[in-house]
Amino acid sequence: MFEITRRNALKSISCGFGYLAFAGLAHAAAEKDQQSSNPLLPKTPHFEPKAKRVIFLCMRGGPSHVDTFDYKPSLKKHAGKSPGDAAKGQNSQKGRKLLPSPWNFKPRGNSGLMVSDLYPHLAEHADDLCVINGAWTDIPNHPQALVQLHTGNFQFVRPSMGAWALYGLGTENQDLPGFITIKPPARLGGAQNYGAAFLPAVYQGTRVGGQGESLSKVQIGNIHNSNLPEDIQRKQIDFVQSLNRNLADRQPLNSQIDGVIESYELAFRMQSAVPQVMDTSSETLQTQKKYGIGKGQTDDFGRACLMARRFAESGVRFIELTHEGWDQHKALKSKLTSNCGATDQPIAALLSDLKERDMLKDTLIVWSGEFGRTPAVRNQDGRDHNATGYSMWMAGGGIKGGMNYGATDEFGISAVDNKFHVHDFHATTLHLLGLDHTKLTYRYAGRDFRLTDVYGKVPGDILS
Amino acid sequence: MLLRLPLAIALFVAFLISLCSNSAQAADEKAGIEYFEKHIRPVLVSKCYECHSSSSKEPKGNLLLDTREGIRMGGDSGEAVVPGQLSDSVLLEAIRWEGLEMPPEEQLPPETIAKFEQWIKMGAQDPRDGKAALIRPEIDFEKARNFWAFRPIADPEPPTVDSKWPRTEIDRFVARKQAERDVAPVEEASAQTLARRIYFDLVGLPPTPDQLSEFERQAKQKSLALAVEQTVDALLASPHFGERWGRHWMDVVRYGESTGMERNATFPYAWRYRDWIIRSFNDDKPYDQFIKEQVAGDLLPYESPEQRREQLMATAFLAIGPKSLNETNDEAFLMDVVDEQIDVTSRAFIGLTASCARCHDHKFDPIPQKEYYSLAGIFRSTKTFYGTDASNGNRNPSRLLNIAADGTVSQIATKGTGKGSSAGAIQKQLKSERAKLKRYEAQLKKNPKAKNVSIQKKKSEARVKQLTRRIKDQQAQAVATKDGHQTMAVLDAASPDDTQLRIRGEANDKGDTVSRGFLTIGSVGHIPELDPSTSGRLTLAEWLTQSDNPLTARVAVNRIWQHLFGRGLVATVDNFGANGNRPTHPELLDWLASDFKANGWSVKHTIRRIMTSRVYRLGGERNSDAEAIDPANHLLWRVNHRRLEAESIRDAMLVVSGKLDAEPGDGSVVMAAGNGIIGRNLQPDRLATNDTKRSVYLPIVRGYVPEILKVFDFPEPSMIYGSRDVTTVATQALYMMNSEFVTAQAEAFADRVLGEDADSEKDRVDRAWQIALARLPSEDERNEALSFIEQTSASFETSESENDRLKKAWTSLAQSLFASAEFRYVE
Repeated sequence: MFEITRRNALKSISCGFGYLAFAGLAHAAAEKDQQSSNPLLPKTPHFEPKAKRVIFLCMRGGPSHVDTFDYKPSLKKHAGKSPGDAAKGQNSQKGRKLLPSPWNFKPRGNSGLMVSDLYPHLAEHADDLCVINGAWTDIPNHPQALVQLHTGNFQFVRPSMGAWALYGLGTENQDLPGFITIKPPARLGGAQNYGAAFLPAVYQGTRVGGQGESLSKVQIGNIHNSNLPEDIQRKQIDFVQSLNRNLADRQPLNSQIDGVIESYELAFRMQSAVPQVMDTSSETLQTQKKYGIGKGQTDDFGRACLMARRFAESGVRFIELTHEGWDQHKALKSKLTSNCGATDQPIAALLSDLKERDMLKDTLIVWSGEFGRTPAVRNQDGRDHNATGYSMWMAGGGIKGGMNYGATDEFGISAVDNKFHVHDFHATTLHLLGLDHTKLTYRYAGRDFRLTDVYGKVPGDILS
Repeated sequence: MLLRLPLAIALFVAFLISLCSNSAQAADEKAGIEYFEKHIRPVLVSKCYECHSSSSKEPKGNLLLDTREGIRMGGDSGEAVVPGQLSDSVLLEAIRWEGLEMPPEEQLPPETIAKFEQWIKMGAQDPRDGKAALIRPEIDFEKARNFWAFRPIADPEPPTVDSKWPRTEIDRFVARKQAERDVAPVEEASAQTLARRIYFDLVGLPPTPDQLSEFERQAKQKSLALAVEQTVDALLASPHFGERWGRHWMDVVRYGESTGMERNATFPYAWRYRDWIIRSFNDDKPYDQFIKEQVAGDLLPYESPEQRREQLMATAFLAIGPKSLNETNDEAFLMDVVDEQIDVTSRAFIGLTASCARCHDHKFDPIPQKEYYSLAGIFRSTKTFYGTDASNGNRNPSRLLNIAADGTVSQIATKGTGKGSSAGAIQKQLKSERAKLKRYEAQLKKNPKAKNVSIQKKKSEARVKQLTRRIKDQQAQAVATKDGHQTMAVLDAASPDDTQLRIRGEANDKGDTVSRGFLTIGSVGHIPELDPSTSGRLTLAEWLTQSDNPLTARVAVNRIWQHLFGRGLVATVDNFGANGNRPTHPELLDWLASDFKANGWSVKHTIRRIMTSRVYRLGGERNSDAEAIDPANHLLWRVNHRRLEAESIRDAMLVVSGKLDAEPGDGSVVMAAGNGIIGRNLQPDRLATNDTKRSVYLPIVRGYVPEILKVFDFPEPSMIYGSRDVTTVATQALYMMNSEFVTAQAEAFADRVLGEDADSEKDRVDRAWQIALARLPSEDERNEALSFIEQTSASFETSESENDRLKKAWTSLAQSLFASAEFRYVE
């Protein structure tokens, strides 16, 4: 009986253009072959997932929650006063005076979700957003908080959230990396924020661009050959594959040669697939405009969001976009205006595009910084780090829209109701992807590690 | 069990209060007990006792709720109930489902939770006398020693087997296991295959065509055994041996040239430790001495300044770990450094995960939390010099040691790089800080009560002091560096002392003081006595290398075995505990360990032993019977095909292209870049290098591992990693197809082949195969290669000269050989 094994499938390719047929065959065979050497093939989650992929909008620096998504009328009433009891036990809050938000909040959408005037476009999607007002984290310092946001732990080097997701689920499209991070910061943990730590290195994130680079020019490393025209390179790969098949015949017990053969076919396809997906100029002008591409303020993050949509459509599992510069100790009014201005339209366009494509229902969008900012200030135009309470929002796959979850105290200093720790964020994200955060483990140094360590809970209230 | 001090006091105070209670208190108490009986006990009984009482099979989280003592003392997560203190009572957190979620099936109704709150507010009266049952039973070490890894190392007689197959003692152990399962080994590999295997295994480089033919000649004219023996001896004596085997050790000791983590500061002198490792392997430093120098080189006697320097450098082992420089809690920072040192020491040398016992007794292995703090006391009594400058947001700076030509050791500051670190910049900062200080003083004169100003003044004074010290340091450093050796290292602290157990591992939550000492489970025979006026590291080193230690030699020979067979006799090379694998050949492991010790802990001796065995020489052909019985090849009936490590893939390309600079490394790019925080005052591009020395000399900066290493599964340098992953993914293929490095090596390889005299294109193809793959091409391969060159050169633009096109075609062929699976696999 003829059985499709990957080796047979590979043997059946003798000419260059066989790789087209190969794709289908290899896939069929891969499903049968549990011993596959490609650890990135899709895996079955623990239960039916609500979200197939994640787009994580990381607002690096700590966006002010009381000026965006956490409406605190009491700040106005008590402006200039000490926060008193609300700041009890927090030394860092001493000598501070409450500063009301310089921006107006309005109820938005049918839900009446309160969003400030800083986010007019995004506010139109209020009914899709679940704003988590009771978020909190352990340390109000960027380095620790950013690393904890990504890995759950700043004390030790641990795998990043995206790496865990990829480890748990594999990825849908083998022609693209499964975990992409666009313009991550080089410092504050750097590569640790998208690293694999003790997980196999294949699960680490692939970086697209870096801080300060223009997205219109960046490309993934080694995706292009500058010496060989494509047809000659194809011949070259055919030659390599022929050598590899010879070796497979000579070393029948070396099970990894099949994997090498497969990796060249994948790589060859990636060479065209990756630049194609990253090329936002192939979108209509109208679409580009919608994302704010071409407009100074929104151009770069607009490209990032459009790229994220294209990655999402192509089956990338975990996509992270970083927007820098939310650390408004000074110049709150001007800088927060420009940050929100730079992200508002692109994020709104991303949400509406996904919706139009009926993809919002299985794409989880997360917007969060590493912490929030102090409602009480020392400088009249700046807020400092606030880790005890801040806001983030989630939308899409499996998330109930148009709601606030949890709350801070009357001034926004500490989360008091339905507190939502970074661990809970991780637990929830994995849950939406169909993974039980207590069961997704990896054995290293003699014990089973989790993204959430011994913590994390999934609040049922925010699940749709 | 430990009764924690604060709790003891609390109980005693409660006792006193109860003695002098007046009637009002008695009434309160009565009401409280009634409340407990009515509202609390029934819930505890029905909802909690199943998992948290002395009658539960295995109390969860070490928490017992069926006595007053148990509920007050709490379990792993903290004191369950603190009378009157809602926020300190972990039980409340748990039943509110904040953090813990108890009971797990269904949350208690809000009114019940409110009752618990009320009860605690009222003082948590609880009539349930009685001792909380022993929650953590004392470890029965006698019983624990029955576990294979803790038994004394035996010196078993190699079995007699009725077969001509075995060559050495090792083979007899292997053959018996095979016979037991009725599995027959395959034939030996060809001389050609074997030569390539031996070269890669020992020096990480492919044999040159000349070396290959010499090996084949010897095998043919004399014997394969002789060829193997002579080649093994020659390669063990090569300086490239240390570069290969040193790198194996660097994986284990998480070698890295920066702190990693949230503030990634470079270690400009980590390379000295790298070079020390390489030298140690080349010199075949006895492994017990190798351990002693790394753990306590600063405390060992010495006869010359050079020896002093060498031994001190070795202690960088304890200093190069990742560090969280932004940690604001000094105690937490120190305890994290200590933890990392315990982790690397226990896993690297004895294959135990002792750092699991930081917060509680080890869950799987017989390591009580108390013993973790016995070790912690040793490392707390040690000062670690990792050398990071105080500027640029480093909250935990550290000095380096300088060893002068005469062996004098002094502490010197680390010179930072970039903005704000130059002497001029510090002078400038000092000037402006002094001006500020003057202003504050003037303000205070006017208004002595201004609290804010006086705080600012204090801070400013501290800054002036710090800046002044940095200037002095820099001046001292300039003098010291002239003739000294700067190195990362450790020294004993000024006043060594025991440390306290930290409750649940919280650095600032101190329990009883624990005297320094070692792990009971590894202590067999005579236990060296620790002199409490020293840190105890030297004694720890002696304990680790005692002949009676059941783990050290086993762990060492198992690591060696892994590098020669692709898998250890114990597959989990860094974990010999309960969660690790069991040895496939326990007697062989013990025999090797005994033989290792008996032969002066010589690594080269054990390597030679293994490589001269027959089992090492096996080929990779099929054997359907054996495949059916032992598909995973645990019985070693055939060779395991192994992917080369990233370093060997790169080095082999450099050898083949003729571009390898075989000289040892000269410092590190990181030293040239200096000490700075990457991405902050040190730009990552300063860490790049184009040199073509062996890969072991590439800079290993945490978070910035060179691309070729990262692509081929180089382990995360912050982690202890005795056994690398092997993955096969498209990014590797892209690297081979498109990277600048591979393209450049392919060009050089093509130049090399085209530059040699050859009678025909066919000869060139043969030559290329010999250089790259250590064999001749088959007839088919040769023809295919020739037509590939012809067709490829014809497909380039005709505007180019024929020579150029030929060169391009050859480059493409050369690259194909690099890209082939065969290039990166060893059979």
